[in-house]
Amino acid sequence: MVSAITIATNVLMLGALYSLVAIGFTLIFGVGGVLNLSHGAIITVGAYSAYAVDAATGSIVLGAIAAAVISGAFSLALYKGLISKVRHNPVTVLILTLVVAIVVEQLMLVIFGGEELLVPQLLDGSITVLSDSIQLNRILVFVLSWVLIGGLFYFVNRTRTGKAILATSMSDKGAALVGIDSEQVYSYTWVLAGALAGLAGLFLASFQTANPLMGRNPLLLSFSIVVLGGLGSIRGSVIGAYLISFLDQMTIQFLSERLAGVSALVVLVLVLLIRPKGLFGRELVEE
Amino acid sequence: MVNNNNGSRRSNGSRTNSALGVNRRSFLRATGAGAVGTALAGCLGGGNGNGNGGGGVPDTVTIGALGPADSPMGDSILKSAELAVSEINDDGGIAGADVEVSTKDTKDQPGTTREVYQELTTGENVDATVGIFGSESLLSIMGNIAQQSTVHLTAGAATPEAPALVEENYDRNKYWFRVGPINSVFLGESQVQFAADRFEEMGWEKIAFLAEDYKWTEPITNDIQSQLEEEAGVEVTEVRRVAEGTEDFTPVYDQLESDEVDGAYTALAHTGTTALVQWAQQQRPFGFGGIHVPTQLPSFYEATQGAAISTFSQTTATANSEVTEKTVPYADAYQEEYDSLPVYTGYSAYDAVYMIKEAIEATESVNSDDLVSELEGMSYTGTGGNIEFFGPDGRFPHDVRYGADYAQGVYFQWQADESGEGHQRVLWPDDLEEAEYQSPPWA
Repeated sequence: MVSAITIATNVLMLGALYSLVAIGFTLIFGVGGVLNLSHGAIITVGAYSAYAVDAATGSIVLGAIAAAVISGAFSLALYKGLISKVRHNPVTVLILTLVVAIVVEQLMLVIFGGEELLVPQLLDGSITVLSDSIQLNRILVFVLSWVLIGGLFYFVNRTRTGKAILATSMSDKGAALVGIDSEQVYSYTWVLAGALAGLAGLFLASFQTANPLMGRNPLLLSFSIVVLGGLGSIRGSVIGAYLISFLDQMTIQFLSERLAGVSALVVLVLVLLIRPKGLFGRELVEE
Repeated sequence: MVNNNNGSRRSNGSRTNSALGVNRRSFLRATGAGAVGTALAGCLGGGNGNGNGGGGVPDTVTIGALGPADSPMGDSILKSAELAVSEINDDGGIAGADVEVSTKDTKDQPGTTREVYQELTTGENVDATVGIFGSESLLSIMGNIAQQSTVHLTAGAATPEAPALVEENYDRNKYWFRVGPINSVFLGESQVQFAADRFEEMGWEKIAFLAEDYKWTEPITNDIQSQLEEEAGVEVTEVRRVAEGTEDFTPVYDQLESDEVDGAYTALAHTGTTALVQWAQQQRPFGFGGIHVPTQLPSFYEATQGAAISTFSQTTATANSEVTEKTVPYADAYQEEYDSLPVYTGYSAYDAVYMIKEAIEATESVNSDDLVSELEGMSYTGTGGNIEFFGPDGRFPHDVRYGADYAQGVYFQWQADESGEGHQRVLWPDDLEEAEYQSPPWA
C-alpha cells in the first residue's frame, strides 16, 4: 500500500501547480471575459523556452526566467495582435485561441521534434520524511507556486494596478468612470497569466518531460477547476485546484492510473448541472 | 532530421519522376493499371500487380521505404534503406539495374501509412517495400499489400498478427515478410530467457512487469507472469499495462517502491521516455529495463543528460557488438554517412534491402511470386543475425526465425566510463557479453 505521506505530497504539490495554471485562466476570463483556449499552449511555450535556454546556457535559473518572460511576452502579443480586436465576439475568440493552440503545438513539433525532452530539475536530491523520500524538486515547486499565488493575492488586493484589475473585472464601465484605462489592465492581465502559465510549464516539465502536446491536459483540468471554483474567482481557483488534485490522486491510487483526469471531467459535468456558478461564482461582484 | 517536405524524398535518383511530379492523368493511368493488374491477378490466382511485368529485371529497380520520419526509429529505416541502395549502386546495382529508393513518411499514423503505401505501389510502381515501425501501421496495410501483390519486408513492427494473416490465407498474404525485430511472442520468450540467465546475478528476485498498453505488448503480457515465475524463479508482484498518454508515473513507482521490488521489467516503446526520466529523477530504489525502445537510441544517454544510466534493453544489435561480421561495418558506414548511429529498425531495413537484391539476382526477376519463393528459401547473414523466414507451414509463416542460430538480439546496459560518457555495453548473450550488470548509482 502506498503511504499517506506520498499521496499527501502529490496532492499538495499538484494542487499548487494546477492553481498556477487555473489562476491565469480565470484572471483572463474574469477581467476580459475571454475564454482562452490557448492557455495550455502557453504552458508548452514556457516549458520549451526553459528547455532551450537551459540547453544553451546550462542554467535552469536563466531557463526559469525565460519561461516567465517569453511566455508573458507571447501572451501579450497574442492579446494585442489578435484577441483585443475581436474581444467582444466570444465565438471568434474561441476559434482564434484554439487555432493558436494548435499552431503552437505544430511549431514545437517542427522545431523540437516529437520526442519527450528532459528539462532539468530545479533542485536535485530528496529528503526523508517518516521513512518516505520526497524529492526536493517537488517541495520547491510547491513552495514557489505558493509564493507566486501569495504574491498575486497581494498584488491584486493591495497595489493600485492590482485593484484596477479587480475593479475592471467587476465592471469595466465602472472602472472606466473612475479613470482606469481598461485596455492597459487587460494587457497586465494577459502578461500575468502568461508568465504564471509559463512557469507552470517549466515546473511540470521538470518532474515529467516536455512534449508538444503537454498543454492539453492542464487546459482541460483548468476548465474543471475554474468552473468548480467559479469562473473569475482567484480564491475559487485555488480551492478548486486542490479539490481536483485530491480527487485525481484518490482515483489514481485507489481505482486506476488509467482514470487520471477523468474525475475532473466528471466534476465539470456535475458542477455545470447542479451549481453552474461554481463554489465562489460572482464573488467579485458581491464583495 | 529527415527532409519532411510532402512526406517524400528520393536519393540516388537517376530518374526524376518523383511522387510530387506525378500529374493527375498519369496517376489515374497508374491507378487504373494497378486496378486492372490486381483484377487480373485475382483471376489468375497470383501475379505481380505493380505493373512491372511477369519476369525479367527492368532498367531501374525501385524500392519503397516507409517509416515515421520524425521519430528516430523511422529515420533509421529511411536512412538505412538509402544507405543500402547507395552501396548497391556503387557496387554495380541489382543484376546490372540501377536501384532507386523512394522514402515515405508514415507519421506513425495508420491512415497516413495506407495513403503513402498506395502512392508507392500504384503511383510509383515500386518493386518492393521495406520498413514501417508501428504494429498498428503495419496491420493497416496488410490488406493493401495483398491487393498490390508487392513484396513487403517489415522492419520495426513486432506484432504476431501479421504472420497469423499469412497462415490464415497464404495465397493472399504471402507477399509479407518480417526481417526484424523478432515478433513479440519471441520478445516475451527472450525476456524470460534473459531473466533465467541473468536475474540471479543481477539480484533481481522480486520484480514488477510494466508494459505499455499497445498491440505489440499483448502477446508478451499474456503469460509473462507465470513464465517468469516458473522458468526464471522470480516473484512477480504485478503485471501492469500502462495506458497510452500516461504522463505521471509517480503513483506507479510509489506502488512498486512500497512493494519493495528489485526491478521494473519493462516492455515500453512509444511511452518509454517519460517513464524512464521520472524513474531516474525520482531516484527510485529499484532497477529499470527489459525492452525499452527509447533507451536503445545511441543518442539517448546524452539526450537525457545521463538519466538513462544503468537502464538496459533488448535490441537487434548495438553499434559495437559483432552479432555478425556485417554489424559493425554497417554501423560505421551509417555513422560516416549521417553522423549518428542507427537504431534497431535500421539494421533490419538495411538487411531487408540486401535480401531483396539477393532475391532479384537469384530469380533474375522482379515478379513478386518469384521473389516470394526465393525469400522463403533464403538464408541470409545480415547485420542483425542469420535471417531465415518460417515457411508457409511454420509456427509464424514468413516471420523471422528466433534463436541463437538465427536472429536473437542482444541485451545491453548504459554504463558510464571514467569521463562520465555513456556506452551501450552488451550483457547478453554470453558470447557477446561485454560487461556485468550494474545497479543504478543511487540504489
